Amino acid sequence: MTLSAQSLDAGPRPLRARLAARRVPLSILALCLLPWILPSEALAVNVLVYGLVAVGYNLLFGYTGLLSFGHAAFFGTGAYVTGIAIGRFDVPWFAALALGVAAGGALAFVIGLLSIRTRGIYFSMVTLALSQLVYYIALQASSWTGGENGLRGFTVSELNLFGWTVDFLDPVKKYYVIMVFAAAALWFVSRILNSPFGSVIEAIRENETRARACGYDVERTKLISFTLSGLICALAGTLFALHLAIVPLDILHYHTSGMIVMMTLLGGAGSFFGPFVGAFAFLLMEDVVSLWTPHWQIVVGSVFILFVLFLPKGIWGTLMAWRAGR
Amino acid sequence: MSAPLLAVENIGRRFGGFVALEGVTASFASNKVTAVIGPNGAGKSTFFNVLSGVLPPSTGTMRFKGRDLAGTPQHRFAHLGIARSYQITNIFPELSVHENVRVAAQAFRSRYDIWRDRAALTELDDKAAAALAAVGLTHRGSATAKFLAHGQQRALEIAIALVADPELLLLDEPTAGMGPEETKEMIALIEKLAAERTILLVEHKMKMILGLSDRILVLHHGRLIADGNPQQIQSDPEVRRVYLGQNDGYA
Amino acid sequence: MDAELIAMQLFSGVALGAILIMVALGLSIIFGMLGVVNFAHGALFMVGAYAGLWVASLTGSFWWGLLVAPVAIGLFGMAIERVLIRPLYRRSVDDPLLLTFGLGYVLVEAVRIAFGSDGIPFPTPPELAGVADLGIGFFPIYRLFVVGVVAAVLILVWLCLEKTRFGLIVRAGARDPLIMRVLGVDIAGVWLLVFGLGVGLTALGGVLAAPMRNVNPEMGSLVLAEAFVVTVIGGMGSLVGAVVAGLLVGVAISMTALFAPEMATIVMFALMALVLLVRPQGLFGKPGRA
Repeated sequence: MTLSAQSLDAGPRPLRARLAARRVPLSILALCLLPWILPSEALAVNVLVYGLVAVGYNLLFGYTGLLSFGHAAFFGTGAYVTGIAIGRFDVPWFAALALGVAAGGALAFVIGLLSIRTRGIYFSMVTLALSQLVYYIALQASSWTGGENGLRGFTVSELNLFGWTVDFLDPVKKYYVIMVFAAAALWFVSRILNSPFGSVIEAIRENETRARACGYDVERTKLISFTLSGLICALAGTLFALHLAIVPLDILHYHTSGMIVMMTLLGGAGSFFGPFVGAFAFLLMEDVVSLWTPHWQIVVGSVFILFVLFLPKGIWGTLMAWRAGR
Repeated sequence: MSAPLLAVENIGRRFGGFVALEGVTASFASNKVTAVIGPNGAGKSTFFNVLSGVLPPSTGTMRFKGRDLAGTPQHRFAHLGIARSYQITNIFPELSVHENVRVAAQAFRSRYDIWRDRAALTELDDKAAAALAAVGLTHRGSATAKFLAHGQQRALEIAIALVADPELLLLDEPTAGMGPEETKEMIALIEKLAAERTILLVEHKMKMILGLSDRILVLHHGRLIADGNPQQIQSDPEVRRVYLGQNDGYA
Repeated sequence: MDAELIAMQLFSGVALGAILIMVALGLSIIFGMLGVVNFAHGALFMVGAYAGLWVASLTGSFWWGLLVAPVAIGLFGMAIERVLIRPLYRRSVDDPLLLTFGLGYVLVEAVRIAFGSDGIPFPTPPELAGVADLGIGFFPIYRLFVVGVVAAVLILVWLCLEKTRFGLIVRAGARDPLIMRVLGVDIAGVWLLVFGLGVGLTALGGVLAAPMRNVNPEMGSLVLAEAFVVTVIGGMGSLVGAVVAGLLVGVAISMTALFAPEMATIVMFALMALVLLVRPQGLFGKPGRA
């Protein structure tokens, strides 16, 4: 598949470029409107959280060109560490959030270190297998994680920071609190993509051999990208834990990684808006289809297959290419 | 006499039981054009891959400006001042032509900065523009690289290597797949570049090599069988034998 | 802890390994020839088990299930190659991987619709029930049978790879369609057959595994991860590697289950991490392909 971020020159200031210049404020605007568009706040929070995971994942898959099937490990670790910190150690929510992000990032560094030693197709298999290792550890360490029943008992009903108190049980307020973190993460990712490092990962995606010959340490660059991507996913995990007040074991399963991959590709890998569009489309599809059948996965899976076959640029990527081609 | 820019001593490279390169010793002085020739399978590509750090040599030593290159990872070579182009066009296909060269220039400026705006590094744009001007691609800067014509992609290939401002430039069949007109332009370009740096090139086009090179190395079955100026090489009986295929005595 | 128990557990590891070999071998053959990592491989293992169950219940005989299901699922695999995977050969290697992942997703849900989400017991065929006394301990006859079948299939596959023209092409592993065309090989036909063979092997693994555990729609997802581990340890594209690593992982799992049960599911991943550190291309893999 060809992932293009800056290709398709058409006209002096194509729509793509104009959108790119304002991508962070535009994203935040869209996220502000989300709870009023979707049928429920719970769905809106889900789009927010999974959109953020997909954004983190896209940094690695869409921009660096590495197809990981192990990002559930970082998402889940963020969630578990936050839940355990609050439920077991009574850590303030803000510190628990920081701990979750740090733990997920550290795990990404370790898994990245191991998996980046392998190339091409092996990378996907190794990341999947290593994340399954994390899954089984969580399953076995049930005194800490609750095992198959998931982690419970860390409900956060209000958030306090610098004298401010927010009622976290009010779904709308909860949404906007989580959105602040998502917006900050989006801004961070946008900076990375605009940075010199952003050029390097794109070069590696385009042509690893040449990037190395140009003087880039490809392995180290990939590891940094992998870790950054893991950090964003871990942040999404901590927010997920705060939102649900439980952490289901399945969050660590590679099916969750697969879901992240599907969302990213559905929306458009290698584009800034793609992951959120993908999470939105995926979860809305799930929500709508499950109204008339519990087997929504068969529909979503088939749609995904059709996208791989016919629209590999995803919804957003295809839309932009179509605009540029007119 | 000053130390040579690059000196290789007795280098060899094996792949399992296959000896692709054996006992090659040579040194390269500054600001000369040296061509490496030899029949297919002579070990030219392996020689280039060893010189550019893609493959570590199985035996022998390499010194660049007196510094031993043993154990140097490939990506360091560009930083030391050795850059290369590829026989099969090896560019960043989805990036713009300008960005192709700019990102190559950036390797010497910023590699891990995740915070600043890349657009602020304006000197990279100047460097990229200069390199594109040198190869005659200024007018194609905003095009997506994969849409360039073959000859233009070859030129871009060289611009990517050139922007590193290398002291040693390795060109692997720069005119591969080019028509006569494009080849002529490429020869002019190489002559221009040779004024300021040391160039090593692999080529098949004999006429071009004889006109362009100060010195020619001939490889055959992984061994260096001749080393001299074009006149010497043309009159070398062994080279003639190899190229005319009369007596293949190096099995 | 006596020697007999250890021998029995060791054997049970060999039987587990035998199943993994079937799955990993199919994965490896498909990759070696087509350059495609089949992420639906676990799901097809599960579909194989269900197909075996269905045929067995229709005919009243396990043997029909064992015979028909792998062939039928192998043909189904060929249809998948033809319709879904062939259009992707000119694209990035990631595309078939993504597609087969989606396919696995669909297959699991399709089986849930057809057979329900709960596990179904798959009785051991009466002819193979019970245990046999081999002098060094009592071994379940069915597991002996599984090991025997896998050994026979391995010999067949080996003969096919070593002695036939088809095998020659597959071993060459050439993904260079030009050379294949020069040699006068119908490359599309070979790929079709290879994919069918690989899928048939995993389906056979599924049928064989079924009486040793419950049949359920999720049974493939664990197997897929296990097969990846076996492939990474053994080295992609190596038949010997798949066999050695399959046995290694099977025995490692069953021995840890004996001494430290809570570590049983974890040990194979630790093994894989170790191999990655020491030999990233796998025990029998060629460097550079990793």
